[in-house]
Amino acid sequence: MEKKSTLLMRVALQSFLLMLLSFHVFAQNRQVTGKVTDAKDGSPLPGVTVQIKGTTAGGQTGPDGSFKLEAPPTATTLIFSIIGYENKEVAITGEPLNVKLGASVKALKDVVVIGYGTQKQAEVTSSVATVKPEDFNQGGSRNPLDLVQGKVAGLSITRAGGNNPNGSVSVQLRGASTLVAGLQPLIVIDGVPGGNLDLIQQDDIASFDVLKDGSAAAIYGTRASNGVILITTKRGKAGEPTYSYSTYLQRDAVAQKPNMLSAEQYLKLPGTTDLGGRIKMYDLLLDEDNLSQYHNFSASGGTANSNYRASLYYNDQNGISIQNSRRQYGGRVNVNQTGLQGKLTMQMNVAANLNKANLLGGSAGDFEQAVQRNPTAPIFNEDGSYLETNAFNNYNPLARLTQEISQRDQQTFSGDVKFTLDLYKGLKLSASGAIIRNSWNDRAYRYKDSRSSQVDYNGGGYASKSNQLDFNKTFESVLDYSTTIAEDHSFTALAGYSYQYFTTEGFNVNNNGFLTDAFLDWNLGAGNAITNNALKRPGIGSIKEDNTLVAFFGRLSYSYKQKYLAQVVVRREGSSRFGANHKWGTFPAASVGWVLTKEDFLANNNTINNLKLRLGYGVTGRQDGVANYGSLITLSTGGQYLQDGTWTQTYGPSVNPNPDLKWEQKKEWNLGIDYGFLNNRITGSLDLYNRKTVDLLAQYRAQQPPYIHDQLFTNVGAISNRGIELVVSATPVATKDFTWSTDVTFTYQTGKLESLSNSQFKATYFEYGSLPSPGALGNAIRVEEGQPLGNFYGKRFAGFDSDSSWLFYDKDGNKVGADQITAEDYSVIGNGIPKFLASWSNTVKYKNFDLTLFFRGKFDYQILNLQDLYFGNLKWLPNNVLESAIGKNGGLKDDPQYSDYYLEKGGFVKLDNITLGYNFKLKTKYITNLRLYASGRNVATMTKYSGLDPELEDNGLTTSIDNRGFYPRTRSYTVGLNIGF
Amino acid sequence: MKKLFIFGCIAAATGLAACTNLDENLYSRINADNFYHNRSEVLAAVTRPFTHANAWAAPTGQNGYWRLSELSADQLAWPQKGRHGYDGGDWIRLHHHAWVPLEGTIENAWRLMYSGMGFCNNTLKDLSAQDFTKIGMTEAEKGTLLAETKVLRAWHYLKLMDLFGKLPVSTEPNVNFNPVSQERPEVFAFIEKEILDNYDSLEVLRPEMVGRVTKATALSMLAEMYINAEVWTGTKRYDDCIAVCNRIIAGEGGALSGSAPKLEADIYKPFNNTNHLSTENLFQIAYDLRAGDFNFGWNGDFWHYRQRQIYNVDRDGNNGIVVIPTAYDAFEDKDLRKTGWMLIGPQLNKATGAPVQGTEEYNGKPLVFVKEIRRNSEGETGEGGMTRGEENSGARFAKYVPGDVTDEVNYWGNDFVLYRLADIYLWKAEAIMRNNGNTANAEAVTLVNDVRKRAFAVEDWATEAYDAGTLTLDELLAERGREFIFEGKRRQDLIRFGKFTTNTWWDHPASTDAKWNLFPIPQNQRALNPNLGQNTGYGQ
Repeated sequence: MEKKSTLLMRVALQSFLLMLLSFHVFAQNRQVTGKVTDAKDGSPLPGVTVQIKGTTAGGQTGPDGSFKLEAPPTATTLIFSIIGYENKEVAITGEPLNVKLGASVKALKDVVVIGYGTQKQAEVTSSVATVKPEDFNQGGSRNPLDLVQGKVAGLSITRAGGNNPNGSVSVQLRGASTLVAGLQPLIVIDGVPGGNLDLIQQDDIASFDVLKDGSAAAIYGTRASNGVILITTKRGKAGEPTYSYSTYLQRDAVAQKPNMLSAEQYLKLPGTTDLGGRIKMYDLLLDEDNLSQYHNFSASGGTANSNYRASLYYNDQNGISIQNSRRQYGGRVNVNQTGLQGKLTMQMNVAANLNKANLLGGSAGDFEQAVQRNPTAPIFNEDGSYLETNAFNNYNPLARLTQEISQRDQQTFSGDVKFTLDLYKGLKLSASGAIIRNSWNDRAYRYKDSRSSQVDYNGGGYASKSNQLDFNKTFESVLDYSTTIAEDHSFTALAGYSYQYFTTEGFNVNNNGFLTDAFLDWNLGAGNAITNNALKRPGIGSIKEDNTLVAFFGRLSYSYKQKYLAQVVVRREGSSRFGANHKWGTFPAASVGWVLTKEDFLANNNTINNLKLRLGYGVTGRQDGVANYGSLITLSTGGQYLQDGTWTQTYGPSVNPNPDLKWEQKKEWNLGIDYGFLNNRITGSLDLYNRKTVDLLAQYRAQQPPYIHDQLFTNVGAISNRGIELVVSATPVATKDFTWSTDVTFTYQTGKLESLSNSQFKATYFEYGSLPSPGALGNAIRVEEGQPLGNFYGKRFAGFDSDSSWLFYDKDGNKVGADQITAEDYSVIGNGIPKFLASWSNTVKYKNFDLTLFFRGKFDYQILNLQDLYFGNLKWLPNNVLESAIGKNGGLKDDPQYSDYYLEKGGFVKLDNITLGYNFKLKTKYITNLRLYASGRNVATMTKYSGLDPELEDNGLTTSIDNRGFYPRTRSYTVGLNIGF
Repeated sequence: MKKLFIFGCIAAATGLAACTNLDENLYSRINADNFYHNRSEVLAAVTRPFTHANAWAAPTGQNGYWRLSELSADQLAWPQKGRHGYDGGDWIRLHHHAWVPLEGTIENAWRLMYSGMGFCNNTLKDLSAQDFTKIGMTEAEKGTLLAETKVLRAWHYLKLMDLFGKLPVSTEPNVNFNPVSQERPEVFAFIEKEILDNYDSLEVLRPEMVGRVTKATALSMLAEMYINAEVWTGTKRYDDCIAVCNRIIAGEGGALSGSAPKLEADIYKPFNNTNHLSTENLFQIAYDLRAGDFNFGWNGDFWHYRQRQIYNVDRDGNNGIVVIPTAYDAFEDKDLRKTGWMLIGPQLNKATGAPVQGTEEYNGKPLVFVKEIRRNSEGETGEGGMTRGEENSGARFAKYVPGDVTDEVNYWGNDFVLYRLADIYLWKAEAIMRNNGNTANAEAVTLVNDVRKRAFAVEDWATEAYDAGTLTLDELLAERGREFIFEGKRRQDLIRFGKFTTNTWWDHPASTDAKWNLFPIPQNQRALNPNLGQNTGYGQ
């Protein structure tokens, strides 16, 4: 890191020298005066920059909006600019000028953030989607990405863990395109790659921009294959300082409970025992009175040359499960300033998030126990201890949630600053530095009476602590130049350098054998296991890893009369994780656009207002599948063995060597159309993509001998994804009091595993979705060369025999019992990846009311219903079973088996969000806006699926398996208030 | 001014370009080239293959040599027990002899065993390159450690050859891809040569060398090879077998106690939690839970879900492998090995004396292990079968027991025995019989009776002793079954006696085709290495 600091100094010195050279002095001889007002309400606008066109000279408006300046005789035009309003050029007439500036809401919308810069929507040649706050999902959100769920065609955001405050969302762009690497897009917050979403609150976000195709994302190189989500936070505006406050209260309610047998139904079944109680354990794990609250207060303001925004928030999230909460607070400060006669701009952000999470509740296992617990089992024994039922793998979930502690205390901070120096006529040099520090402490304790303590720790309790610290440092520098040649040819070019260094370190320790519960986990040394050999050994561990990413990048954009557009991008990036033979990769991209409506034959056409064709090709990488040190031969411990009579650790190679290890590479074509019809009342886009990811990382079966280990982590396979994305935005009705606007997104996606082999490594398939104990029923999903992704692979149901036992088809079509089935009889029996995704958003405004209805759906896929497979079977007794065990599966008297019998049709349409709001129009100068609203999320589901919720994890390759354990799916109800003053 | 800008840009770019260092900094890991600084680090590499052998040679929960050797034979099985234990039909196919070249169980054995062999290759490569004098060791020590590792590697090949027949023989790690399989007699010759070439450099067995490869190991390996040579190579080596057995018995290979190994009088001693001291044991995987945090974890495969109560210990099991009824019945009731090495009947909580309760078919009812594997709870009668088990079906493994959980020194310290003197006695007896027209002579009878008589009370022995008339080869095979039950040797014995594909037992009709005597070369390895070939009968 020493290198970086000398580098910073060098850049600063050079910048300073350049600045000294750029002072100019102008002659003056004519006076121009006037006043600038807001076009909407006529209020005077102070702090507006007034610039004489073609020079850098000018001035500013005063508190009453008036200005006075000296102009040379050659001056003909003045340019008026201020943040938040559209720029305006006005000719000098000799009379005082009355200038009205319009708010730049539309202008903002028309600018797209594309990574290391912005671009006018009209000039974008690749596939980029923008979502602004007015289009966000309303109501409470657990994660910033909840705000855009369903809003971006091709971006699949799934909450497989329900609305758990400590759960996460899974995100996938344009289908699964990797076998083992992550699918999370690169998050860039205010220009800093690798941003942490915990640091973003919903009221701080000005826009999401999603770089979808390869030609857009290639500027981010080895991390771009999953797409890039650029989040821009809100800024202060020049003018009157403002405050705003928003708040909501939210409650989650269970959407549908599993249909376990009641105690009465259960007792009618053979072999069940009445333990005397009548307990609904499932309900006891619910916190039906849960309430989440959110408060965000912000202050912002500024002048023409500087602005600021600061926000503070408090957020107490409580889930539907007991012992399941997250309480967080923090803030974000943004300062922007232009100084040095407009030559030097600084942008600075500081953000913090402090949260405390109760991680104990909300685990799928507890709810699984609740479903299968004997409904006559009392909670307690007569002596007051918790009653444990006797059957295999049973435990009392209420006892666990009462007798254990599991908490996380987390602090995340980020700070970034960026200086941009205006060097010379459109040439700018910027340098930015950022740190993100994410640390947490976990603590756990299991009371002496707890089951874990009793069963595994001789009743001596168990305490553990662990922590982790992730620290990312970033330095980036960009040289940016834009110019227009001969009026019609505009060029924008940039060249940059990026350096990122990541470290992670942690330690953990645990002990047991406590005499008393009094210390909980706060006196680890008090545990006897340190000295008592007969107790389970205490544990201790620590780890530190680092990795480095270095990149050079460039981009050239060209526009001829905003009619013919072209862009070329290249990033050359190296990662410390890659093998010695492939430390650096190059990621090029190119795209072109043709704005047909700028051609004579469509110019001024009243029906077709905008029509642009786009074609892009880009190469991107995915490096996150490569673990730190993944290419090295490191030694690892192999357990202790006798050395000269002493037990000592053994060491051996931990992996097979792979000096060729590198990134996965995606090559993508994107053909797009942007359109606007009927005075732009209908706008939208259509994108077709064809992407192929090659050099897929996977643990390949290694040739043994000569390899030592049975697997080699290497780049072999290829996956292709194709799809269509259609976005239609329309305003069917727009009158003075009533408007109806509607947005539709539609996605068709298909993915195929092209190959898994090369000359050295051969595999024909990988399997996913291991079905849980008991029975070890194998894997549910097979991804096979030449086959679509997401295939369920297993036995084909052929009926029941005379003993009500399973019959399956063998490969020759004979009906045979489960004991006769071999691997050769398995086949593709379904597919769990939805082919079609759609959303439909409607906003109706009537006078001060607004109503939003948002529908979301996924279609054409199958679901493996594991709850039915395991719990809907009388062989699950003496555990409780679902009603289907005596209902639709009543004809079965055999042990659980995986086959297409349990595959169900999975399509659905959800009314995902309904929001009714009222905007008060108050006749007071103190309150600028006041809005009250009520929202419901996940309100209704239309589906043929018999299980609880047809929306399951369908990102990645383990898709549409409705697992046995589950966090309850909920409906959320929110009331909220936004006020500005 | 423009020039200055251009100069500035170039200068900036050069400054930036300097920071392109992508070196990886290792903190909590070791790079392989930063090791072997002292004797302890050297031995850490030498002993690595032994801890790995825990995974495949011993019944510790993985598909390796042990499971393939026992679950395909006529004593043990992992029947489905209600909703448990179907496991993709793996155990059913092993029991029925219906496996295919894609069988995951078989592939896993190959992977684990070749990994162990690969660790040996790696140690040999690394140690050969070291200058031992720089780390305070002698060239002689180097020679001994290299010899030990070569014989250990030969032991891996011996067990691989037993399962698969022909094999690729590789002696260096990570180089020379696509090795060609050698036929079984060639592999046999390679192993024999490796043992003989390195024998002189090996240490003798003594207490400090427990769990390591010694001269006793090498001689035992030769005995195993020579007794099987007729099957494996077509050449009889019974005289050679008798010769190496005699050398072991005479103490040439050393012993864990005394100058020569000795049969234990107590049938538990070779297996109990202090069996690192047993006079009978010749080669074992060493374990010590208390001192080494490393134990022979048989509980997963064998124990019931509530078995901790039976022994008052701290672990349970997955209720997997049990003794099939015909194997249980092959013991006489007064055979101490029947009553001592197996659990059957009502099970009591060792701490409270109360009956242990079942959790499945016998949920809340007393757990009573029965010899039948059938749905007794549903009134089933007859022989039962591989899919007809219940949670209490079959007699249970108790040859190894962990001892007292409060014992801070010896609890669960049992070593897994690979060769013991009883093997040598019975192999020698068998070699004598096979040299003698397949009939016993006095020497053979004595050898077998010496092993057998420990299993009977003195008052019973008169009627239980063999004589030259009663000790037939069939009887020897049956007696081997009783003596070595649970030791991972049954498949090899059945094949050597020509019974593996011709005998019928419980739910196993004779498989008849000789192809089942070898497992197929795993299809997935053949896809990677076109030179592996396939065993006869498994297609191409």
